[in-house]
Amino acid sequence: MNGRRVAIVGVGYSQVGRHSGLSERHHAAQAGLAALDDAGLTVADVDGVTTWGGDAIDFADTLGISPVNWHLNVGVSPAFITPAVHAAMAVATGHSEVCMAWRIMMQQPSGAELSAGSAALRSPDMSDAQFLYPFGDFSPTQWAGLLMNRYLHESDCTEEHFAEFAVAQREYAVRNDNALQREPLTAEAYLAAPYISKPLRLLDCDYPCDSGSAVIFTTEERARDLRQPAVLVEASALAAIHNMTFETLPDMVRTAPVHCAEVLWSRTDLTPADVDCAQLYDGFSVITFQWLEALGFCDPGAAGPFIAAGGTRLTGAMPTNTDGGACNVGRRHGANFCIEATRQLRGQCGDRQVGGAEVAVWANAVGPFAGAMLLTKA
Amino acid sequence: MPPPGPPLPVTDALTEPFWAGAREGKLVIQRCRGCGLYIHLPRPACRRCQSFDLGHEAVSGRGTVYSFTEIHRAFHPVFVDRLPYLVAVIELDEQPGLRLVSNLVRIAEPDVRFGMPVQVEFEQLIPELTIPVFTRVAP
Repeated sequence: MNGRRVAIVGVGYSQVGRHSGLSERHHAAQAGLAALDDAGLTVADVDGVTTWGGDAIDFADTLGISPVNWHLNVGVSPAFITPAVHAAMAVATGHSEVCMAWRIMMQQPSGAELSAGSAALRSPDMSDAQFLYPFGDFSPTQWAGLLMNRYLHESDCTEEHFAEFAVAQREYAVRNDNALQREPLTAEAYLAAPYISKPLRLLDCDYPCDSGSAVIFTTEERARDLRQPAVLVEASALAAIHNMTFETLPDMVRTAPVHCAEVLWSRTDLTPADVDCAQLYDGFSVITFQWLEALGFCDPGAAGPFIAAGGTRLTGAMPTNTDGGACNVGRRHGANFCIEATRQLRGQCGDRQVGGAEVAVWANAVGPFAGAMLLTKA
Repeated sequence: MPPPGPPLPVTDALTEPFWAGAREGKLVIQRCRGCGLYIHLPRPACRRCQSFDLGHEAVSGRGTVYSFTEIHRAFHPVFVDRLPYLVAVIELDEQPGLRLVSNLVRIAEPDVRFGMPVQVEFEQLIPELTIPVFTRVAP
């Protein structure tokens, strides 16, 4: 990233859980204070705020962060990477000295509530949805089923490889006190779980919950005096290749992560071989498969065999989603991967620590849009 | 309380021809009068030549299956009784990459193949709404 070198100095979560009973504002306040405490900063130090979910100015006001010199609420975008990149850019360009990025994600209505008619999917704009809804295509699980089926068709991957992925993720979650699902999982249990949109099964989906996540960005110089070992932003990229109708993507296998990864690697002297751990979005498990290939950690089409051979496990070639992923820590919409990458580079991950981790990549989203950030130990 | 109806399109000048065509048993797709590019989903400008001079044309209704998924969980009351049903992305023969979302009918999921030739037919859900669906072309 051009401009001042940027560091991540604080990370934190709210009381993440199912139907928490807490408001967006409450989650933002909890996560923000947790990140400040982690960093050894106070509200008086913060002068920039970004969020996806809720209103950054309102969250700042709630915590008494005033005045604010940089603020941004992002709309539909590739998960947490967007408020994160914009917070980092605000610091790099001098628009902010200490910028807090939030992702606040409230649990969506369940399939049972939707099919009973007691809740409805939010549909702010029917201009495109009119070509989906009358065909019974409402839910992200359905485009994910289409992407996963085409991926299975074109790649060396099988449904058993997806089972191995779910098992590997859960093994990490067992070692993570913050995970919501920590019971060991077998491949048989994965395969016995119901289909949602065949071949997509229940355990291919992230786990719905209310969550608040916050990450604090500041300059490398300022980071030196703070509580935690600094983690530096080496490079980042945001990419989009299509409108938000995943169903009409020109290619469901080589999607935005391919272009995003090319841009990311063009902005650094580091290469895939330098990366010690990867934190790759898993809102649906096929997304992680696409990122493993896009970032060059395995050959195109080979993510399934790579995972089945243990490639993503702690002892594998590329330890991946070491917090257990959103299938297990709950839907934190990519923020968990920024936070886990940061904690890995600090060496704070206990039983799931990747030994000697110095370079980590975290990446969000799939299909029309994607974002990724490369982090290094200072 | 009346039983819930299907989700209805909220049409405008760009999208009404698709639905009006379906009611008449025709598959109608937006097309650029400048360069001939078919455009779906409908847009106010052509992404290839940037023209605003766009119309709509009936197409052959022939295509192939690009991807498909068998839906096992409904996200709307109307579809509960239809489970499981097939949502598919159909690539129309008129132009590489010209895709639309539809349903595959009168075929079981294990019999669907990627690239399988299909042909449009029309299903009236309620008098106001007819949808184009696709069925396998007899080999």
